[in-house]
Amino acid sequence: MDRRNHPLYLAWRRFLRSKPGVFSGLVLALLYLMALFAGFIAPNNMTVQHPSASYQPPQRVYFWREGRLVRPYVYQLRRERDPITFISSYKEDRNQPTPIRFFIAQGEPYRFLGLKTNWHLFGVAQAEGYFFPLGTDQFGRCLFSRILVGSQVSLTVGVIGVLISFALGILLGGISGYYGGWVDTLIQRTTEVLLSIPRLPILMALSTVIPTSWPSTYVYLGIIAVLSFIGWAGLARVVRGQVLALREMEYVTAAVAQGASNLRIILRHLVPNLSSYLIVTATLALPGYIIGESALSFLGLGIKEPMASWGLLLKDAQNFQSLSLYPWLLTPGLLIFVSVLAYNFFGDALRDAADVRSRD
Amino acid sequence: MNRQLWFAICLLVAGLAWAQPKTLPAYTNLGVSTGKAGGSLTLALASAPQTFFYYGAIDAAIQNLANQMFDGLIEYNLANYQIEPALATRWSISENRIYTFELRRNVRWHDGRPFTADDVVFTYTQIVANPEARGGDAANFEGVRVEKLGDFRVRFTLPKPAPAFIHYMRLPIMPKHKLLPFSQEGGKPRAEINTAWPTNVNPEEVVGTGPFRLRSYTPGQQVTLVKNPNYWKRDAAGNPLPYLDQVQYLIIPDSQARVAQFLAGNLGQINITGAEFPDLKRRETQGGPFRVVQFRALFGSPPHIGFNYNAKNPELARLFSNSEFRRALQFAVNRERIIEDVYNGLAERASYGVAPISEWFYPEVVRLQGRYDLNAANAALDRLGLARGPDGIRRLPSGRPLEFTLTYGSNSAVFSAIATILQNDFQRVGVKVNLQGILAANLLATGRGSDWEAILLALGDQPDPELRTPIWKPGGALYYWHQATQPTTPGGPPQFNNFLPWEREIYDLWERAASTTNFTQRKALYDRWQAIAAREAQVIMIAKEYAVGAVSNRYGNYIYSLGVIPGYNPLVLLFQR
Amino acid sequence: MGIGVFILRRALVALPTLLLISLLVFTVIQLQPGGFLENMLEDPRVSRETVEHIRRQYLLDQPAWVQYLHWLRGILQGDFGFSFLNGRPVSELIWERLGWTVFLAALTLWVTWLIAIPLGIYTALNRYSPTSTALNFVGYFGLATPDFLLALLLIYLVLASGGTNVGGLFSPQYIDAPWSWAKFKDLLAHLWIPLVVIGLDGTANIMRQMRANLLDALSQDYIRTARAKGLAERVVLWKHAVRNAINPLISLAGLQLPTLISSTIIASIVLSLPTIGPFLYDALLNKDQYVVMALLMLSALLLMVGNLLADILLAWVDPRIRYE
Repeated sequence: MDRRNHPLYLAWRRFLRSKPGVFSGLVLALLYLMALFAGFIAPNNMTVQHPSASYQPPQRVYFWREGRLVRPYVYQLRRERDPITFISSYKEDRNQPTPIRFFIAQGEPYRFLGLKTNWHLFGVAQAEGYFFPLGTDQFGRCLFSRILVGSQVSLTVGVIGVLISFALGILLGGISGYYGGWVDTLIQRTTEVLLSIPRLPILMALSTVIPTSWPSTYVYLGIIAVLSFIGWAGLARVVRGQVLALREMEYVTAAVAQGASNLRIILRHLVPNLSSYLIVTATLALPGYIIGESALSFLGLGIKEPMASWGLLLKDAQNFQSLSLYPWLLTPGLLIFVSVLAYNFFGDALRDAADVRSRD
Repeated sequence: MNRQLWFAICLLVAGLAWAQPKTLPAYTNLGVSTGKAGGSLTLALASAPQTFFYYGAIDAAIQNLANQMFDGLIEYNLANYQIEPALATRWSISENRIYTFELRRNVRWHDGRPFTADDVVFTYTQIVANPEARGGDAANFEGVRVEKLGDFRVRFTLPKPAPAFIHYMRLPIMPKHKLLPFSQEGGKPRAEINTAWPTNVNPEEVVGTGPFRLRSYTPGQQVTLVKNPNYWKRDAAGNPLPYLDQVQYLIIPDSQARVAQFLAGNLGQINITGAEFPDLKRRETQGGPFRVVQFRALFGSPPHIGFNYNAKNPELARLFSNSEFRRALQFAVNRERIIEDVYNGLAERASYGVAPISEWFYPEVVRLQGRYDLNAANAALDRLGLARGPDGIRRLPSGRPLEFTLTYGSNSAVFSAIATILQNDFQRVGVKVNLQGILAANLLATGRGSDWEAILLALGDQPDPELRTPIWKPGGALYYWHQATQPTTPGGPPQFNNFLPWEREIYDLWERAASTTNFTQRKALYDRWQAIAAREAQVIMIAKEYAVGAVSNRYGNYIYSLGVIPGYNPLVLLFQR
Repeated sequence: MGIGVFILRRALVALPTLLLISLLVFTVIQLQPGGFLENMLEDPRVSRETVEHIRRQYLLDQPAWVQYLHWLRGILQGDFGFSFLNGRPVSELIWERLGWTVFLAALTLWVTWLIAIPLGIYTALNRYSPTSTALNFVGYFGLATPDFLLALLLIYLVLASGGTNVGGLFSPQYIDAPWSWAKFKDLLAHLWIPLVVIGLDGTANIMRQMRANLLDALSQDYIRTARAKGLAERVVLWKHAVRNAINPLISLAGLQLPTLISSTIIASIVLSLPTIGPFLYDALLNKDQYVVMALLMLSALLLMVGNLLADILLAWVDPRIRYE
């Protein structure tokens, strides 16, 4: 077969036609690269607290000095407390510029691909001061570094959750709709049981059952598994409804007549017809997982201090004093927004590319 | 005008002539001036009331409301927390255990019925001493005889001297004529009293002697109180109190929402936290129509770290019950930083069970608790033979790393922040802390169970240490960190064989203090107790937050109030400009 | 098979399902530590003896299965239990809050669908127009922002622009006032924040799905056949394409009924709405078990009714579906 007529090639061509889709793909690639190289890009250790730099605003980077372009530098900030309002304000110490160095080896080593190293993309020499590109949190921890490390959690939590719940939902929903009868009744009643118990009490019960000595990542994976185990039910309902409608179509009847196996009919003939719906639902479900994970920390579940995730970091911004005094704490929210946008536009482009019959 | 009205007016005049009002002190040092009658105020309740019967539930909402609707026999001076007459005009104490109260005459319930000694006897015998009343105080009234000695005289006879007994006389007095049908005296089972005045009760039924009476309740939204025109208090100039015609309480569960409603001008006054102070104070300095004020309060709950002396892991239990170890960790608690960064500077060092402004506070505790010193902490841990492993974490004698779980309230910004700072600083002395967040509502229950190692908990300060006996006296119901001292059966004797030597000492101090009535002697005993608690690092006290309130400029005579403390009610003096 | 028999059969199947759910829910509640009794002890008034009395009074000293059977026996007699916290029958307490809950949820559902379906169709037909892109952006913002933060941001904006309607359903002076034109206007001025906070997620979801489904439907063979037969584009679009595209959403709609109770918890708390959400939350925190049971069973029942309605509607919209 001519390579140019291969369906995948055609789909790729259709995908490339969507400019937002391609752009979103690039953004996603960039985000995942950042997550992968978080330890290298982060200028500071994400868990180290700097008591003298609580709620320090982002440091401004300067490129010019005395009218000349120089190596980028920052000024160190000094904390002062307003005697009346008790607001901590930071003043630049103009006497000593701190140059930003690139590819410096310092600080605590981190692991990358099995290697132990302490090379960082950029930073300032420890002896000369600090550089917090996005400011700090209440404990004086570098927000930029925390966002980077937190992206490892936030960019995977949704994908894993959606994969598990979709695998379960498609399979069980398909079976339910295709076979009907007692199988359908059984699966539908199960979904009703799962759907009718709100998440909050289940999570509250879980929070007491999960051992405290579990490391953060275990708890986190366990919770995702539980969430997606609850999450498949809604999807199964929809898939079932679609399959009910589709199984009477001619091509299904034809496939049955040709002696195709039931599972094959479900997976090869019925599910592809749902692909468009599934892609959209999947991209819509992602933000739910990214944000939902922060709701868990409210119950003491999920990611624990001093680890970080975007949802957890954004929680720090959710009060009036942060909105008006420490607005930089909203940056994790911005990243969630960007990633959700990218996932969805990317999903749109995928949908269009997968749509074989599309003529425009 | 009809005859009935004339009659009512005559009665009123006669009543005023015979009334026995209480004139409040001028309170000029609190900035109080003569107010203006009229106006209304809107406040916030953090939760919907569970009942309108004060003794029917332990519920912050009804405690708030009851302060406005009812009075006790005595109350606090608003400036110095000294005990003053309220529904009782004076009292005498003989043999240290017989309290005789003269009651205020011509006080009327909101429905016009007179208040008499019958109401007091009824309240204390049928409700407070009723062990099945959910908000009663049966334990402290066991064996107490309450007698009516005349229409306006009541006598309490205690089985043995109890120096803090007078504080229980702040409890609100209830109307016998309304509540008799729910009581044992009225022929009902004892538990029936809890069903009095549910939230769907006709507001006319809920009568008190307080400055305001219940007008209406809209479920989940608001409670409205209106002025009691016959209230028995006068301001220093002799004007009738309260000034306000109406007090509305909006039910707003979320603290951010309360701040928003205050900024929008829908609330007249709110209580806020140290974290919220800078933003609001800045808005004030930028011309916001309100004032943000800080006070040092007698009440409030300073957090502490409790270690489980009976932890399930025997190695940890041995360490946790060793004062050397707790003292070592106390050196790694950076209280100054917590006060600075978590409370925004709006907190101070704390003692045990009594506030720093309390007369019972022993100032030496601050020195005895020591200061933040990582070198001292490291040295002390080294002395205990807990050497560091290659990962920097110390090793237990068994060779396992020294790590434990610290349980804290995950839905409290203050607790989460303190836990994070502690984890960081303990790590620096080679002690690994695993944080376990649980809902703050479950903290006490968890602490009283056995499934924890260290916990961040806050228990309330009271005006007299005696009132916190269950917490601080070894073997008490809330002496949760060393449960092996607690009685095996409720009401039984503590398990003295499990006492540590210094716990025995504390126990004896409390025993003596409970039957000592001389203030100086009691003070000496409680000073000694606080010194031992600090020296042994019984628990590690962290800090006591200042009370911070914000009030709209529309109102005058604002004095901070926690709202829920019986016998402390500055709202009668508040007025609308 | 007639629709009556179908409904009857579903109702019969529902009973054991409900029983199973009630058992599960009860177990989940029992797993939690703490509860109102434990917290009472912090108050200096309360002694351990009082707590024991209450424990006995409410049968909380009995094994869990005894408590469950006690609850079940009550249900059979039409008694939904007693709220420990409020000292009143659960049914009364729910009834007090049901009005505003149903009003808010129904209004949100209605507005959500009313806005989302046409916008979905619009964005499908005008895929690359700037308006579509803008609409998508707003939708994504709603999806990417936690309810709590969204509410807080809206309140912050209202405050910054000098507004005063920052929570609740009414200004304080109207809460107890009789209905009037002014009170109605006051309600409208408050209502938009909860509508946006609760509804934006759903609107974005339905809009996106409607768009995808319609695009799918438009490229199906039968649409091309219809067009080829010379049917008017309007007929093709509305009679064939939209009708098919809406099918998966109907199944989804059935699932939305129980959100009446549980999904608005966070929004209701931060916006001080007098709905069942915060009531359920309080009950969960304090382990007020019969309130939790009643509310969760109500939610389960709503879900089943929703599913049943969705199935009937599905058959009505899509004649290809048969019931067996």
